[in-house]
Amino acid sequence: MAKTKTNTEDYLQMYRQMVRIRTFEDNANKLYLDAKMPGLTHMYSGEEAVAVGICEALKVTDKITSTHRGHGHCVAKGAAFKEMFCELLGKEEGYCRGKGGSMHIADQSNGNLGANAIVGGSMGIATGSAFTAKMLGTDDVTVCFFGDGATAQGLLYEVMNMAALWKLPVIYACENNGYSEYTRTEEIAAGSITARAEAFGIEAHQVDGQDVLAVNTLTQKLVARARKGEGPFFLELMTYRYHGHHVGDINREYYRTKDEEKDWKENRDPIIRFRGWLVSEGIASEDEIEAMNAEVRQDAEQAVDYALNAKYPDVSEVDMHVYSDIKHALA
Amino acid sequence: MPHDVTMPQLGMAQDAGKIVSWLKAPGDPVAEGDALFEVETDKATMEVEAQAAGFLSGVTAAAGEDVPVGQVIARITEEAEDDSAPPEPSAPSAPSAPQSSGGDDLPEGIEVTMPQLGMAQDSGLLVAWHKSPGDAVQADDVLFEVETDKSTMEVPAGADGYLAATLAEAGEDVPVGNAVAVISAEAPSNPVTRSAAAAKAPAPKAEPEQAAKPTEPETRQKPASKPAPKTAPAVSANGRILASPKARKMALDQGLDLNRLVEAGHPQPYHVADLEVLKSLPTKSAQTNAVQTRHLTAEIPADGFADFARWAADTAGLSDQNALLAGLAAACLPTGTGTVRVEALGQSHSYAVMPGPLSTIQPAEPDRPADLILRDLRFSRITSVHLGAEPAPVLTLARNGDALAITLECAGDHLTASDALTLLSEFAGRMEQPLRHLL
Amino acid sequence: MREITLSQAVNEALAEEMRRDERVFIIGEDVAEAGTPFKVLAGLVEEFGTGRVVDTPIAEPGFMGIAVGAAMTGTRPVVDLMFGDFIYLIMDQLCNQAAKTHYMSGGKLNVPLVLRTNLGATRRSAAQHSQSLQALVAHIPGLKVAMPSSAYEAKGLMKTAIRDDNPVVIFEDKLMYQDKAPVPEEEYLIPFGEANIKREGTDITLIGTSSMVQVAEKAAEILTREGIEAEVIDPRTIVPLDEATLLKSVRKTSRAIVIDEGHQSYGVTAEIASRINEKAFYHLDAPVLRMGAMDVPVPFSPALEDVTVPTPEGVAENARRLMSGEMIHAA
Repeated sequence: MAKTKTNTEDYLQMYRQMVRIRTFEDNANKLYLDAKMPGLTHMYSGEEAVAVGICEALKVTDKITSTHRGHGHCVAKGAAFKEMFCELLGKEEGYCRGKGGSMHIADQSNGNLGANAIVGGSMGIATGSAFTAKMLGTDDVTVCFFGDGATAQGLLYEVMNMAALWKLPVIYACENNGYSEYTRTEEIAAGSITARAEAFGIEAHQVDGQDVLAVNTLTQKLVARARKGEGPFFLELMTYRYHGHHVGDINREYYRTKDEEKDWKENRDPIIRFRGWLVSEGIASEDEIEAMNAEVRQDAEQAVDYALNAKYPDVSEVDMHVYSDIKHALA
Repeated sequence: MPHDVTMPQLGMAQDAGKIVSWLKAPGDPVAEGDALFEVETDKATMEVEAQAAGFLSGVTAAAGEDVPVGQVIARITEEAEDDSAPPEPSAPSAPSAPQSSGGDDLPEGIEVTMPQLGMAQDSGLLVAWHKSPGDAVQADDVLFEVETDKSTMEVPAGADGYLAATLAEAGEDVPVGNAVAVISAEAPSNPVTRSAAAAKAPAPKAEPEQAAKPTEPETRQKPASKPAPKTAPAVSANGRILASPKARKMALDQGLDLNRLVEAGHPQPYHVADLEVLKSLPTKSAQTNAVQTRHLTAEIPADGFADFARWAADTAGLSDQNALLAGLAAACLPTGTGTVRVEALGQSHSYAVMPGPLSTIQPAEPDRPADLILRDLRFSRITSVHLGAEPAPVLTLARNGDALAITLECAGDHLTASDALTLLSEFAGRMEQPLRHLL
Repeated sequence: MREITLSQAVNEALAEEMRRDERVFIIGEDVAEAGTPFKVLAGLVEEFGTGRVVDTPIAEPGFMGIAVGAAMTGTRPVVDLMFGDFIYLIMDQLCNQAAKTHYMSGGKLNVPLVLRTNLGATRRSAAQHSQSLQALVAHIPGLKVAMPSSAYEAKGLMKTAIRDDNPVVIFEDKLMYQDKAPVPEEEYLIPFGEANIKREGTDITLIGTSSMVQVAEKAAEILTREGIEAEVIDPRTIVPLDEATLLKSVRKTSRAIVIDEGHQSYGVTAEIASRINEKAFYHLDAPVLRMGAMDVPVPFSPALEDVTVPTPEGVAENARRLMSGEMIHAA
């Protein structure tokens, strides 16, 4: 559906989405530290420009697959705070009725085919989604998010090979945040990441993942070409995650320094950077931005409150949704 | 000697384990190698096996509790001890922190809580404050230091403002999730300093000895319920009978007793086909085995019969004492008549007794079976008998000093209980005062 | 009624379903011109084109992952896994992704996928091309498992599988492709969860899967000459399993032997025997026996391979022992 938006709206939307991701993660982190969240989760803070820059170039029916670090993608593809917090807390009103949790959060109506707890587990799914688009003749594009650590998985090469052979409309987006769990990327990925895609004849680009405009501009071009059948494409986005691998990974000086973290946070933060640009370009004033921030914060607080008080799924749901045509699998 | 069950170290950096559930209850027998309880670590839930055999007792930690590695949580004793039930799980390791909203005499502002810094950690030791109440703080400033199992960590303020209240003192243990400070937007006029001990603390860990109603650990495996005994008839004296479930059920339904097959020496295991054998076993042996023997005794102080016998001989010419005995005895049978065989002094005589005077007693037909046997042992040394049932009821007379002991033995289907009682008590009465018989 | 081979029956089922629903497609190795090494798919690419009969590189995890993603986004793939032994290669995509997606998404995402593969030894293909792995997948909640025992079942079960919105694994016995059976010309479907009583009897129940049905039938012929009447049942699907029919039979006969070509230990026979034990205990006049393939890797030498699988004589011998009331310890 065609909707004329001025660039201003697009920029403000991008900014707001990045702030929403950051705010969501701050709240999720706090829920964990306050021991109110079951299990673990994985923070996307610092990588906002990657998810937002890319998803703002997609339409609702375009698909994405996500990773265990999936809240950013989920928000960026249009998810609401309330259902997301409910899912993280295992409540009935969560996107997956509490049955998936943080690592499997999916928002089917917005084209998010789901986070995946298996590293690289969603690469096949993303490629299959592109296969469907080609077979059914839609112009949908699929973006496959994965990390630098996932380039060690064999599945990536199997599906890139087939995507290239069949010219599928899929964009492989490698979020290179410098670390594969607790090990530096240089120690786990030999050679060049983009060259891996190029070996299959797939056009590959490297981009500063902290620059939301650069990410968005590039993605828009590639998406347009993919819709025309020129895919697949490969993107390596250089970025950084502020938190540890998961929320419990707090004592992490043994694998990276506080100075390095400080540098990225102060000098290369995507939100601060974009904010500065918005102000200097006269697109928004500091006050307007503060107001936006406050509104997002309040939205998040209300959603957290709601989720904390929301009800769990009834125990009778435990054997529902095992099969689509059997209401209770264990009856 | 009792064996201590301790919380094991299940991971390299692990200092405590959370008991997920007990798989045995206090008093349960335990074999070496049995799974005793489940522990949750960072990576997985693991079963801990008993290292000794015996009975589980002295359980001091409940499901849901975190227990430091090495701590003793139960014992395995040689005999079952009468322990109190496992303690209530202590307050959840992550108590819900009451988020006071500025009331309670605290300044308004953002609360800073004791964070969860390790998966199995439920409290942190506040080592030192880096800011004092009233100080201005930035979000990234270090506010205080916490010591956990593993190390000392700096906790940032998390918000810009002024430190308006500290709610715990250095050196205090604070449960995760509890508020330790308040940061306000403006400089406080009266910054608050408190200690955690003074604060309204959440529910303390229940004393292990305080047993409330016994709670079942969630994942405790219930033993498979034993089949109701109604499927098996009485087990034979040698122990269990091997038979298929269907054979047992059919035997029960048809009122057949598998024991009889055992006693008949039929080889086990029994299947449905063997029930045909069971049904064809002879019933007589079944009856004698199944049926009871009656044994009654009576005693009369003196033997009135001797005088009566003399009087009868002198007066009525009835000189056969055995006939007289037969007559007195037969009169006590339900029909008052019958063939009575009297055995005395190695000889046996049978008499046919009809209702009427004793003079009508005749010797019985030769092959006629006795309805009643009378054994006269008054002239022997035997004082009591216990001979079991014979083809007819047996009345035995024996001396016990001056007294006369009369025993009645018969099979259950010779005489009903009431007829047996009547027979003996009436005969005893007649032996005591024989003249009554004539009236 | 006409008789066709199992291979022809499968071919017909696929062709009919692909004509009926244009979202159905086949993907796997050598499926197009070659029609697979077993020639089951011959002629399909000519009718439906390479867009719907898709040859892949030798990349099982890759094309299984693609199939999962395609199924999640609106198409209905039939994955051709050339040998059942290769299930190990695709376990993550099959068991972590396909089997769990409906549940983890709280019922919002479906995976209407069919995995078509085979089982069966005695082909002299040695250990890695002769396995019968149905127990592995039957163990995973979220998957359905069908085991056709003849051309008739193969066609009816395949059509049902394709129309089912859940992931279904179908195992064909690779040694039966040329075996003929009566197959109606008119369309028919065989529902899942309905066992078929192939021969009625009163003395003992023989439950067999796949080609073990024929083994049981031959055993029944041997036994009837000795005055023992066996009832032979084909469950047709092991997930869902038609317990009611099996239990009704055992209540009648009071004896049972379960025969499956998976290994003796920890397999399909153990599950079925266990259910009979639990639910028909008081009707049993003998222990329920399991007969599976020997717990050894399949040997190459014909002298060795042939003794590792259940045979009609073996089944008959066990039946005689149960009838005699002999104290049986282990089959």
